[in-house]
Amino acid sequence: MTAEIGTIVISMDELAVRLGEAFPGELADIRIQDPDTVIAQVEAAGLKGIARRLHDLPQIAFDSLTLISSVDYKTHFECVYHLYSFAANRYLELHVRVSRAKPVLDTVSDVWPSADWHEREAWDMMGIRFEGHPDPRRILLKDDWIGHPLRKDYVDLIENHPYV
Amino acid sequence: MSDPVVNVSDPVVKKAPDEAMELALRRIREADAAGKPSDLGGMALDQVVVNMGPQHPSTHGVLRLVVTLDGENVRDVIPVIGYLHRCKEKLAEKRTYYQYIPIVDRTEYVAGINCEWGYVLTVEKLAGIVPPRRAEFIRVIMAELNRIASHLIGIGTFVSDLSPLGTAVLFYMFRDREPVLDLLEEATGARMMFNYFRFGGVRFDLPPGWEQRCRDFLGRLPKLIDEYEKLLDRNAVYLQRTVGKGVVTRQDVVDYSLTGPLARAAGVPFDLRRTRPYSVYPELDFDVCTEQHGDVFDRYRVRMNELRESRKIILQCLDMLPGGPVQVGTLRPPYVITPPPGSAYTAQENPRGEYGTYIVSDGSRYPYRLKFRDPCFVNLQILPKLMRGNRIADAVAISGSMDLVLGGIDR
Repeated sequence: MTAEIGTIVISMDELAVRLGEAFPGELADIRIQDPDTVIAQVEAAGLKGIARRLHDLPQIAFDSLTLISSVDYKTHFECVYHLYSFAANRYLELHVRVSRAKPVLDTVSDVWPSADWHEREAWDMMGIRFEGHPDPRRILLKDDWIGHPLRKDYVDLIENHPYV
Repeated sequence: MSDPVVNVSDPVVKKAPDEAMELALRRIREADAAGKPSDLGGMALDQVVVNMGPQHPSTHGVLRLVVTLDGENVRDVIPVIGYLHRCKEKLAEKRTYYQYIPIVDRTEYVAGINCEWGYVLTVEKLAGIVPPRRAEFIRVIMAELNRIASHLIGIGTFVSDLSPLGTAVLFYMFRDREPVLDLLEEATGARMMFNYFRFGGVRFDLPPGWEQRCRDFLGRLPKLIDEYEKLLDRNAVYLQRTVGKGVVTRQDVVDYSLTGPLARAAGVPFDLRRTRPYSVYPELDFDVCTEQHGDVFDRYRVRMNELRESRKIILQCLDMLPGGPVQVGTLRPPYVITPPPGSAYTAQENPRGEYGTYIVSDGSRYPYRLKFRDPCFVNLQILPKLMRGNRIADAVAISGSMDLVLGGIDR
């Protein structure tokens, strides 16, 4: 592992085409956001397999996970995986739709170790459970907190504030 | 003597669950059941779980570490965060974009201007606002001054953790941070909670005579840095405590997505001012400071060198500073902005690493969702790996060298 940055020179259009060819039908709705980000939709069921192959992609391996964001769209949740490729110096955003009725995703913390705390935060704040996570505790709120505050329908309960 | 009467229904007395402590004890029991001997030859049950923090002088905030000790050796560390959680991301959903700027300062309060820039940059990208050139240069000057102040605190508090000698260094650095804060105060109106950046510019133009005062300080700075280096770089006690401790490899940088001095000390030249350039950084001449070994000493060296590079950047900006307005369009900033629906992620090189902001807009005056990527939050994940196998005293050196700011980690 050399971790040299930007050793592969690849234009954004070429990157989008190559990703589309490497993941036919799996990366849907591929578009380019200037200056250096490719955005794609991914089905929740195939996430783990895509993650593994993206991590080991020849030449343009997306070997680093920068951030996992979670968004509550009221009808459904969305998890956004912000990936970075050291070799190509390019960013990739995977948008994964998560159903509100069963907010469960496969963990990717075994693919990218940095996913560990981001997934814990998504559970803590948005209530998305990650199947197979090694340490699924809350991270920012206290251990017996009730509810997930960043959901749009969150109601703060008096039980959460025993000292007031 | 009889037991004191305890009313168990009283919430103040009620014992809150402590899952981190339970996890530490469970790991010991599992190691013992698996028959793994401890370093001292005994069984794992010889180990002791010590609760370090949240109020501990060497954690620079309210970081709590549940440390499993085997004699003086650290076997396991479980960081517990969240003691400074102030719901910054939820607050954003109830405030207009403009109202939220002062709150960004308070996330990572040691480098407030840099955080503001990260947020403003994302909103500008969403709304398609381009600030005038003079404002860009002023932004770079302020961010780099802020970086100098932040690194001085980072190095100073870290060295003061190591030995009584360090307390002297800390006071040298606080002494020299004061003129930086004075400069920032003169230009922005505040020492730490700046509220200075606006969408499409900055709040005030530079006051008269400010440039000369800034040059005066920058003229003194190299001598001051030499003074710190004289105190530390050849100091036998300091070298013994730092060289070869807490080594971060290049593979760790990729796996754990480490950024900032932590990555650059390991030899990865990842600096967003170069790899994902924003503002006028492409026009400026500066080096990305890297070291090779990735240990505690190298992290300190990277910060030291970055003080010099920041000085270089500010001097260039002062030379190139163009005239003109500091706010786009009118004299007043756009108080109400409604970016079109969509999402954007931008990253800014904070003194501690990549400060990312992800904003989802639904076309209204309020951010629909705002998410910060705090560099310390991500970097902290590797702490257990670095500490395991070291002595408890080295553990303090390692956590100090990461320059953690809990305000950013807990948000």
